[in-house]
Amino acid sequence: MPFLLRRILFYLAAFVAAATINFFLPRLMPGDPVALMFSSAASELPPESLEALKLTFGFVDGPLWKQYLTYLSSIFTGDLGVSVKYFPLPVTDLLGRALLWTVGLVGTATLVSFVLGSFLGMVAAWRRGSRLDVVLSVSAIFATSIPAVVTSLVALFVFGFTLGWFPTGYAHDPALDPSFSLAFFASVAHHAILPLITLCFVLTGGFTVTMRNNMINLLGQDYVVMARAKGLSDRRVMVWYAARNALLPTVSSLAIALGTVLGGSLVTEVVFNYPGLGNTLYQAILARDYPVIQGQLLVMTAAMLVSNFIVDVSYVLLDPRLKGSG
Amino acid sequence: MGQLWIGLRRNRKAFIGLAIVLLILLVALAAPLLTEYNPAARTGRPHQPPSAEHILGTTRLGQDVWARLIYGAQTSLAVGFAAGLLITVVGTTLGIVAGYRGGKTDEVISFFTNMVLVVPNLPLLLVIASFVGQAGPMVIALILGLTSWAWGARVTRAETLSVKQRDFVKAAEMMGEPQWRIMAFEILPNVFSIVGINFIGSVIFAVITEATLEFLGLGDPNVISWGTMLYNAQKASALSVGAWWDILAPCLALALLGIGLSLLNFAVDEIANPRLRTGGRLARWTSLVKSGEGRL
Repeated sequence: MPFLLRRILFYLAAFVAAATINFFLPRLMPGDPVALMFSSAASELPPESLEALKLTFGFVDGPLWKQYLTYLSSIFTGDLGVSVKYFPLPVTDLLGRALLWTVGLVGTATLVSFVLGSFLGMVAAWRRGSRLDVVLSVSAIFATSIPAVVTSLVALFVFGFTLGWFPTGYAHDPALDPSFSLAFFASVAHHAILPLITLCFVLTGGFTVTMRNNMINLLGQDYVVMARAKGLSDRRVMVWYAARNALLPTVSSLAIALGTVLGGSLVTEVVFNYPGLGNTLYQAILARDYPVIQGQLLVMTAAMLVSNFIVDVSYVLLDPRLKGSG
Repeated sequence: MGQLWIGLRRNRKAFIGLAIVLLILLVALAAPLLTEYNPAARTGRPHQPPSAEHILGTTRLGQDVWARLIYGAQTSLAVGFAAGLLITVVGTTLGIVAGYRGGKTDEVISFFTNMVLVVPNLPLLLVIASFVGQAGPMVIALILGLTSWAWGARVTRAETLSVKQRDFVKAAEMMGEPQWRIMAFEILPNVFSIVGINFIGSVIFAVITEATLEFLGLGDPNVISWGTMLYNAQKASALSVGAWWDILAPCLALALLGIGLSLLNFAVDEIANPRLRTGGRLARWTSLVKSGEGRL
């Protein structure tokens, strides 16, 4: 079977697995699953909306396999049901609103961290064993082992509350209506700086370590030695011979990182009250809005799978050996 | 093991990391001796700044922050080590069995492992935890253990594949040793450094993720742990009313434990693979940590 077709089938299977978990979880919980799922909403909802909710979760009459198929088909037609909290707003609408903010914030943070992390990793590897290398790699490991909650809260405390340099919440000045005006964009940028810095702090370390290790492995390669023997300048060898090749595997981790963008930044968004997907998920958890929570899992899984697939495609393009192999 | 111990003593990173982790462990165990206050009881006025009486101040409900911090350390460490152990046991077992047996067994386990790897970990945890309802610490440890073993399985499998080609494994096979014996006594000791790094990395991941889940309100709010401290402080708007001690205390504790454990992990990696020196396998573990971190 061709490589890419096999991967597509695998991703399809993974997606169905995530959907299956979504389907069976409420049924595995002790007690009446329907009652559990809708107990918080039952008192506020009119009976007919409760029926609609049950329908979107496949709680229809009939045997389990039939319920399961109903559920799967509704998902594959893009129907994630309706929110309990904001009934009758469809989950897809709710997620669509938040998507833009998250993609903007975390997308930027991921790209900045990728560039910065790869650069630091390159420098650390080039001067491996030096004091600079030790400082860079140890602090990279530290940055990845400090919880994002901690980084976000400390940043908010120091720069938001104590120094008052940045706003302490939301994506733009609530007095401004979203529009294509300079004032609005300035407000958005000002609100994004602190969450952006926090996310970069969390993400950069991982890229630094990956790049450093790839690069160290490559520095012993014949063509690098050859480049030096030719008398090329240090910088040229470092950037055009070693770093360019070391970057290839890092690009795949960038794609995967971009795939997690949708799930990304949950804690950061919650701490900075940023209206993205993560915060939507958090609000849904607080309200026990199960359709939204489950819809998020599916959307995030789909994003992960798509970006993994892009990595696969790029591998096939970059490494022709994969094309033939079974 | 003896070599590992000598290496640990010579390595400064290992020494500092071990000292930090042991210090936190010791403080957690000696909690009743280190404070006179009951961590759950109201012992002062709400949101008192640090003073001689309450060295880290009080919470919104008038509980002593220092008492909550050191009793909370018990929970965070217990969940971290329990979940870390579970993740390591499941991951190591599946990895060795898949790598050694090969064939259909390998295909099934690898398929399953890869599937778990592509389903985003944190949203999955959130969905499960939200259905469980206010999850106690050990329930969280169990959920973490059952959903986060895939990285360990993959890395251990890769290592097993190379170990099983070695002569002593072939020799054991010729002598007709049963498969389980080869896996347990020939393969396992030779992938031990991977297992160690897996374990410490998983502990870091579990501590961080438990705190995150509780901070998001998915834990049992009556349990005393660093995560619920953050949750309660955030709920009481501790930062905006200026009660920084309420929120910074658990923050610093979490950061300290994270740094201690990662120094230890760093050192184990260096000792196990002297050629790599500050690099190598640990890189794979940062991605495990990141799956609980950057992706949050």
